[in-house]
Amino acid sequence: MAALGLGFLYATGIIYFVEFALAVAGIRWNVWNVTLPALVMAIAAIVIGKPRFTRLRFTLVDILTCVSVATYALYATIARVWEWDFWAIWGLKARVFSEIHTIDWRFLESRWNDFAHPDYPLLLPLNYDYAALIGGGWSDRWLGAFTVAFAVALLLFVRELAARETTPLIASTITFAATAFALSGFIGLAEAPLIAFAGAGILFLRRAILFDDMRAMRHGAVLAGLAACTKNEGIALLVTITIALALSKRHLVWRFWPAFALALPWIVIRMLHRLPTDLARGSFATRVLHRAPHLGAASMLLLRNLNAPGVWAALLAGLLVAPHALRVRERFVLLVFVLQVAIYVVTYLGTPFNIEWQIATSWPRLTAQVATPLLVVVMLMLARTLAPEHRPEDDLAHAEARPDY
Amino acid sequence: MHGDTTDTVMRRRIAFVVFVVIALLAIDPSLFRIALANRAAMHAAMTHYPDRGWDAYPAFLEQVRARTKPGESVALVIPAMRWDGGYSYAYYRASYFLAGREVLPLVDRDDVPQPGNFARAKYVAAWRRDVQPPMRVVWSGDGGTLLER
Repeated sequence: MAALGLGFLYATGIIYFVEFALAVAGIRWNVWNVTLPALVMAIAAIVIGKPRFTRLRFTLVDILTCVSVATYALYATIARVWEWDFWAIWGLKARVFSEIHTIDWRFLESRWNDFAHPDYPLLLPLNYDYAALIGGGWSDRWLGAFTVAFAVALLLFVRELAARETTPLIASTITFAATAFALSGFIGLAEAPLIAFAGAGILFLRRAILFDDMRAMRHGAVLAGLAACTKNEGIALLVTITIALALSKRHLVWRFWPAFALALPWIVIRMLHRLPTDLARGSFATRVLHRAPHLGAASMLLLRNLNAPGVWAALLAGLLVAPHALRVRERFVLLVFVLQVAIYVVTYLGTPFNIEWQIATSWPRLTAQVATPLLVVVMLMLARTLAPEHRPEDDLAHAEARPDY
Repeated sequence: MHGDTTDTVMRRRIAFVVFVVIALLAIDPSLFRIALANRAAMHAAMTHYPDRGWDAYPAFLEQVRARTKPGESVALVIPAMRWDGGYSYAYYRASYFLAGREVLPLVDRDDVPQPGNFARAKYVAAWRRDVQPPMRVVWSGDGGTLLER
């Protein structure tokens, strides 16, 4: 199950790197010069990784999750992708590149196109371009299916991971609850892939920390790297994760290097092309210092614009109910969440735009980005509180078994 | 439950309630309403959603796209020549529909006119605005005119 979801996530990463490498080499994309290298890389990954497919015990709650996903798929594909950020940012770049079968550096460098955020990483637009290559031309009619696929990939992974640590009924309930954040309401945007890469990556790293699972460490590092290839928040997440790793299990920090290696090419290329970044306009530090005294007002804005406030309140209650020992055990995920939110808050203070507008238009999206791992660990902590006889060390037996990824 | 203190039992009960509440809050009624909704009507509504108030604009841009070639430059004229008064929407939307062409704005974010872009553009796409010659009318319809220098 998890292998299916991971297969999709890695496939999108492979497509991104093949198209990116061809574009940097000055070679225009076609179906064959993208598909063949991608297939070779995918086969190599399968041979090396030897994924296997285990059967899970399903419950009635899984049916509810399937119904939610099915109705979500109906919504996401009801029409051409309609979101403003799709046709002004993610879909726009994909369509522009699709016209010339490569990355249009002139478009990205033009001062008139800074509204399209030329500095944003390109994993999602390049995957849309692959869909256009396969489909024989640009069409935005069914691109909402990508959003659904990323969500399903994450839910499959959560289901498998939870099943390894608790009973099938609780695992399926956690997976259903995860739909609150995994099924992003922002169709066609890079939120869904970021939620999937970041969510799966953080949960893999958690496994690596709790069970000394080096296979999970490699997956976690690669997925976090792909999150950084998806959105700038993913790049910030690398810093966050590194700090959280250092505070949770220091000797694992250096094993996180693949994440930085995957993020580096785009960071270097965008510097070489001098692609403008919003936050770099004027003095970021001056704006932060100027707004810092108004942090209270900014916090109220964040609370007012919180997406799914009921779920957040319940998660907070869950954190308070769980025994202290469990919170200490899960400190990696909790630290990642707190640090990432802190980065968002500082970014808001330093935005060159109106802070009210910036918060209203982005905070509901940002809060979902690293919420799934938090939700999963809070529910696992509650499950352990309910059944303390299932001690953490019992999981070692599961962890030592051959995992499904 | 032998040996459990009252606090532990209470903690377990609260944990159970919170666990169930989190799961219940994940139910999104809007998704289930969508499943029961009239799909054709929803399709029509969402198709027009990005252009509400500008209904004929996408059709106009499609016609401009059909009459211009990749790499050619198009300047955009609309009734509201103020960035936050509609020009930014018109410009972003034109950039999407005319992908491959160089779409040039005639005002910037600060509403400063950009006559250089007007002079540089091979075409002018005028939506619900009259543009004075000397320019050749390439096509007219769907609420606008495409002019060539």
